[in-house]
Amino acid sequence: MTTRTTILSLAAAMALTLPAAAQPIPVGHLMDLSGATSDVGTPFAQGVNDTWAWINRTRNGVAGRQVNALAFDYGYQAPRAVSQYQAWSRDRVVAINGWGTADTEALVRFVTRDRVPYVSGSYSAALTDAGGRSGRQGVEPAPYNFFYGPSYSDSLRAMLIWAAEDWKGRGGQGKPKYVHMGGNHPYPNSPKAAGEALAAELGFDVLPAIVFALTPGDYTAQCLTLKQQGANYAYLGNTAGSNISVLRACQAAGVNVQFLGNVWGMDENAMKAAGTAANGVVFPVRTAAVWGQPAPGMTNAQAISRISDQGGTAYRPVHYLAGICSAMLLAEAMDTAAANGGQVTGERIRDSFYARQNWVPNGFDGVCAPSNFTPADHRGQLTVALYRARVTGDTSQGSVGDLIQSGVMRLESVKTVTLDRRADWLGW
Amino acid sequence: MDLAPAGEYRSSYREDMTIFPTRNSRRAVLLGLILACGLPFLLGRYELGLLINIGTLGIAALGLNILVGFTGQISIGHAAFFGFGAFASAWLHERWHIPVALCIPIAGAMTAVVGLVFGAPAGRLKGLYLAIATLAAQFILEDFFARAQWFTGGVAGRITEPFALGSWVADREESYFYVVLAYVVVMYLGAANLIRTRDGRALVAVRDHYLSAEVMGINLAYYRTLSFGIASFYAGIGGALYAHYLLFVSVEAFNILFSIQFLGMVIIGGLGSVMGSLMGAAFMVLLPEVVQAGADLLSGSAIDRALKLGASISFLREMAVGAAIILFLIFEPDGLARRWRLIKSYWKLYPYSH
Repeated sequence: MTTRTTILSLAAAMALTLPAAAQPIPVGHLMDLSGATSDVGTPFAQGVNDTWAWINRTRNGVAGRQVNALAFDYGYQAPRAVSQYQAWSRDRVVAINGWGTADTEALVRFVTRDRVPYVSGSYSAALTDAGGRSGRQGVEPAPYNFFYGPSYSDSLRAMLIWAAEDWKGRGGQGKPKYVHMGGNHPYPNSPKAAGEALAAELGFDVLPAIVFALTPGDYTAQCLTLKQQGANYAYLGNTAGSNISVLRACQAAGVNVQFLGNVWGMDENAMKAAGTAANGVVFPVRTAAVWGQPAPGMTNAQAISRISDQGGTAYRPVHYLAGICSAMLLAEAMDTAAANGGQVTGERIRDSFYARQNWVPNGFDGVCAPSNFTPADHRGQLTVALYRARVTGDTSQGSVGDLIQSGVMRLESVKTVTLDRRADWLGW
Repeated sequence: MDLAPAGEYRSSYREDMTIFPTRNSRRAVLLGLILACGLPFLLGRYELGLLINIGTLGIAALGLNILVGFTGQISIGHAAFFGFGAFASAWLHERWHIPVALCIPIAGAMTAVVGLVFGAPAGRLKGLYLAIATLAAQFILEDFFARAQWFTGGVAGRITEPFALGSWVADREESYFYVVLAYVVVMYLGAANLIRTRDGRALVAVRDHYLSAEVMGINLAYYRTLSFGIASFYAGIGGALYAHYLLFVSVEAFNILFSIQFLGMVIIGGLGSVMGSLMGAAFMVLLPEVVQAGADLLSGSAIDRALKLGASISFLREMAVGAAIILFLIFEPDGLARRWRLIKSYWKLYPYSH
């Protein structure tokens, strides 16, 4: 064979194989940048987007193929998410990073039918019953749904366990009173029954739930009800924006309640906005560290942050880190699916979620908390780290980063609760 | 007669009222239908999805056009009726196990009844007052959807089943397209014929001048309320078709903005035009897609960086719809239907259009 033919045949081989190898992998990303939960949806979506860009840039994508992350702002409207999902079938997305509870639950049947792994920002317990064995009403098998973090119900259970101890520790007399607060929407409703049941079990007096909308507004009336009822522990089921309104209104009304925040109900931005009204709120943090804390994986997280902040000075709230960990879980599952020459198909990605024990994405030790998934049980995390928001001064001046730096605001670890993997809590 | 004669040669009302005046126009319609039937073999799922949306919204928009364009009433609660049809169909199937194929017309009838109830004020109110009364319908129904767990599944929404006829299941765009196409043909022919009947002429008379209509012996309250019933029937059918296409219904979709969008479709398509309703629906469905495509092109480009649009690009989509309505009101108040007629007559008369 002459050199010329060798080169020609090599070139031909390259031409044949290159397009196949370079074909990007389409991954969907539903985000809320303009809807009712955009306050926390924006940092989370930024974390996910930056992570995919970082994977493409530094790791050359997944298994040598670039990832084409198709981000779509659905404005927290479930029907729009469903129609976007159908539009994505044209792009043959292999997996989706999702967001809200209503849309994720609406899409369960579709992703199960089409075998598209779906890593949601919703931690609704209804998504954890992968095999559909819990037999609970309204809970369908969700074999393709995953999420990074403890479920809403499990987080609330952990907070209630802490609250019961806290009540004893404070020497409280009689039964403590617990109340669930949130909008009438699938997301705040998700842990309601589970929380009220455990609260009753732990000896709380469970008060009738208080409703307030997902959007910021004047919630003085709700705070007065809270005061009148004499509640001791109140769960805030909404996202940060409307919770801030409640915290401020309750501070003004002089309500003395220990607030328990949902995982999306509190973050550094909300602390700054609420000021001292946020002082003392206890809430779960899904990551093993918060921004800037020393951890082996923090350098990678900071590298991801520089994708959208070249200066590298931005302070990232807890939701940004959770976005990184969510996207990294999916990315590694895709990597595993592609290992040994496999195709990156939905089914193989799903099975890859079961491949590891105490799974922390490579390079994110100390940042992402370990997850365990099994084919029947998608409760990835049962260990809930509870933090308390500490705001000691005026937060109106300076950025979130400055306020954390100066110690005006800080997140203080309270307790880490590890729940039993109870069979009767699956899907609830 | 293959060509329309250049003059008025019609000698009977029958000839005057016919929908398709020449043999060629009838042929064109048949050919169009046959071509439409072939579309699932040519288009992808995404394009078919858009066509299905145009069909379902087009049916509901036609209902609103009968109310607004033909009867001269106003409604800013059309989305609530659309939603009622969607929930009713889902509920009928889930609770009573009625086949989906039957659920859709029953849901339409149920919505018509609800529409008659909420349309009752139309017997006495006009203009702005009627608009506020229909606004109440919007909010009452929306609140009902959020609370009536037994009917709608509450705020969590309800999963619906795909359309099935015997063993044929329309759970894909390729198959569901035919269901929607059939409904579009039936509902549009129905509306075109309705306008030719005594009742249809009565509706138009009410619009043109209510006092003259009353003097001619038309029962105003009856026809105004009837118009609400018909509009709701169309909305209910459209909603039911939507429910069995998305396979999920939730209260969030049927808000006041959606009602305004229906008004937008009717205005953009052309008030008082049957075909215009479909054109308006097509415009409203395709516009956000076009804007989205434009935004995708724009994002990351030099313009994006220069104006620091960033995340705000997603708001372009919402703004474009508003801008389109304003531009149409200014430059084409008679809607796409008139523009279409102008284009047709331009070619018909070419090159002697004067």
